[in-house]
Amino acid sequence: MTLEIVVLIKVVPDGKEVFVDPVNFTLNRSMATNVLNPADENALEAALRIKDEHDARITVMTMAPPFAEPFLLECLSRGADQAVLLSDRAVAGSDTYPTSLTVAAGIKHLGNVDIVFAGEKTSDSSTGHVGPGVAEFLEAELASYSRSCKYEDGYVIAERELEEGVEVVKIPTPAVVTVVTDSNIPRRATLRKKLDAQQKGIIVWSLQEIGVEADWVGLRNSPTVVKKMLPFPTRERKNKVIGVDNLDDFVKELAEVGVLKTGGN
Amino acid sequence: MKIEDRLSLLNYKIDKSYAHITVKPDICEVCPDHFCTFACPAKCYTLMEGKLNFKYEDCVECGTCIVACSHGSVDWNNSKGAHGVKYKYG
Amino acid sequence: MSEFDAIVVGGGPAGTSAAMRLAANKLNVLLVEKADPPGSKNVSGGVLWGNSLAGVMPDWEKTAPLERYVKSKGVGFLTKDSSIDINFRSSKFSETKTGYTVLRTKLDQFLNKKAKDAGATVVTGVTVDKLAFEGKKVIGVEQDGDIITSDAVILAEGANPRVAIDSGIRPPLKDQDVAIGVKEVIKLPEKTINERFNLREKEGFAGEYVLGFLEGGVEAGGFLYTNKDSISLGVVVSMKHLRENNQTHSYDIIEQFKEHPSIAPLLDEGKVDEYSAHMVQEGGLESIPKLYGNGYMITGDAAGFSFSNGLVLQGMNYAIASGIAAADTLVEAKSGSGISEQAFSKYEEKLLNSFVLRDMHTFKGIEELTWGSLIHQKMPSILEKVMLGVLMEDGEPKKHMSQIVKEALKESGLKSSKLLLEGYKMYRRM
Repeated sequence: MTLEIVVLIKVVPDGKEVFVDPVNFTLNRSMATNVLNPADENALEAALRIKDEHDARITVMTMAPPFAEPFLLECLSRGADQAVLLSDRAVAGSDTYPTSLTVAAGIKHLGNVDIVFAGEKTSDSSTGHVGPGVAEFLEAELASYSRSCKYEDGYVIAERELEEGVEVVKIPTPAVVTVVTDSNIPRRATLRKKLDAQQKGIIVWSLQEIGVEADWVGLRNSPTVVKKMLPFPTRERKNKVIGVDNLDDFVKELAEVGVLKTGGN
Repeated sequence: MKIEDRLSLLNYKIDKSYAHITVKPDICEVCPDHFCTFACPAKCYTLMEGKLNFKYEDCVECGTCIVACSHGSVDWNNSKGAHGVKYKYG
Repeated sequence: MSEFDAIVVGGGPAGTSAAMRLAANKLNVLLVEKADPPGSKNVSGGVLWGNSLAGVMPDWEKTAPLERYVKSKGVGFLTKDSSIDINFRSSKFSETKTGYTVLRTKLDQFLNKKAKDAGATVVTGVTVDKLAFEGKKVIGVEQDGDIITSDAVILAEGANPRVAIDSGIRPPLKDQDVAIGVKEVIKLPEKTINERFNLREKEGFAGEYVLGFLEGGVEAGGFLYTNKDSISLGVVVSMKHLRENNQTHSYDIIEQFKEHPSIAPLLDEGKVDEYSAHMVQEGGLESIPKLYGNGYMITGDAAGFSFSNGLVLQGMNYAIASGIAAADTLVEAKSGSGISEQAFSKYEEKLLNSFVLRDMHTFKGIEELTWGSLIHQKMPSILEKVMLGVLMEDGEPKKHMSQIVKEALKESGLKSSKLLLEGYKMYRRM
């Protein structure tokens, strides 16, 4: 039986081209080009590695305006089998709650899905909500922060990267796996596959097609409120190399250059 | 402005699986001029205690080093999969 | 039967112009660009001279992302303490635009979109490895082991033509073929630029400089172009001279240019927003390889098409015109005798009849003159001494101009007969 795999992606502004406005602390994205969210590249690669071993079909899916289409094509040319764009004006301004709801509805609309892959988080908002949110709406098992995983007879075995170490979990399908950034090296698309992808094209579904009501989504139905943006404090580089002969002197020097604070407790 | 600070302005998508430039250390070791260290505008070629040190990560893909090296040490290929430098103005 | 009528390798001005022209003639064309987005690996000094783009886009001046039109042109000779500038402004430049400053990532993205809109298949973010051959005939391109077939391939891969070299259809580049271009984009408010350069909205300044003051006697040319709210500033140093010098880092020269007393005030409060560098073609006619063969043509920088008279370095208009000429040659071959080396010889004929190769013939050999110590080292210091002699009031008795010139020449160690001879050669070739 063919394994049905979905990979969720998001198109984000290139993080290296986004700057914090020094005056009102908002993000200046005017110079930023769009890229595939870095962790999603690793999620796609994790799915492709399962497909390398098993009979599987990969559907790549995103909820976005039509500008996301070239990025879906890129996923197709790396080896995904079909691409679905959930596109509807009504979802504009949605936070992670209606987004998870909508994406889960899109997945259900595809039919029976065995494994859903998503990046651990997106580089533009970093909530890490959507993968787990989709698992809730699908009532599927979740393996978050996976650095590698495999499929065995109805189970996903995932290595989870945690602060205190690595945890190996075995969960039954349907399962949602969120994948850690840089946990693998994504394969490159070839010119041949890029041409094939352009032929293949993209499936576009509106909310109506996946059975989502317009008044479940959008800014008005999003519980998140951004109250304030604050700058992240940065420290100036001291460009100083300190040799360690004596620990006391070393601590003193660190205090002198301001890396350590002295006094108090 | 130091070259390191100027390079830090750039956006790179580093290719972790492919180095588009490789050098042959046995040739560089006996190189009489190390002209690459003067020619490369991205300071990818440096001398450390007389030994040539090369890193491709800061490369701006200008193509200078392949002409600059007259000893046949530099193997230069285009970057792949849109990896490498990504200018915002160009 | 090939998959495409043509594959164009490289989505810069040459490749996109070729693709637009081919698509406009209903040919099935594939344009492959290694960067994504297009233009994000390209560097140009920054002035698009001439009107070549009209050949594929009659309304380009209204639709393309252009920064400013060149209203004011400058030539400067810089010594350690002084600058002798010639500034030419003309209302004629407003009526007929001679050039526009551009930023390549914006321009090239626009051109790629136009090629796509015209009907070309545009693929970005993938790098062609080699040409694919059947015997000596080019039958398409090779990428990651796959062959994509086409009746013809137009190479438009820029100043570092890896595909052409790796496919054995052009020789590797040598010192005399290239220079190193290093550039910075410096942010300044639009209003500040207008005030400093005496410009109004949309008007721009394009200046070229002979840098006769560089440490270690390096010979380099400088340029400074105004964009809407930034300045493109850079230096071009010939590979040959940097090698002979072998003590100056290519990335330090631009800083010396920026710190020159006549340049630094123009950049006050400016913030460096990008550093970039690229090899530049400037070998002149001698560097041009065989331009065509069975199933392929080479265009733009990949073919060494650039114009340099020591003060200006132009490439984009040559790239566009050659891309269009290659496309036209292919269109004619397809509808006529078919594709053959003989049919593609028309490409070179077209170029010989256009400014592309005519300019290069007209200015044949100038590169040896412009990269000589006369223009870079001696000329600026001679000019400085003459100007100081004429203009500086130091309480000493005044001298005749002829006396001043004589003394300046004597100090420079240059015989007046040699100066006349070199000057005449330069005059002839310019």
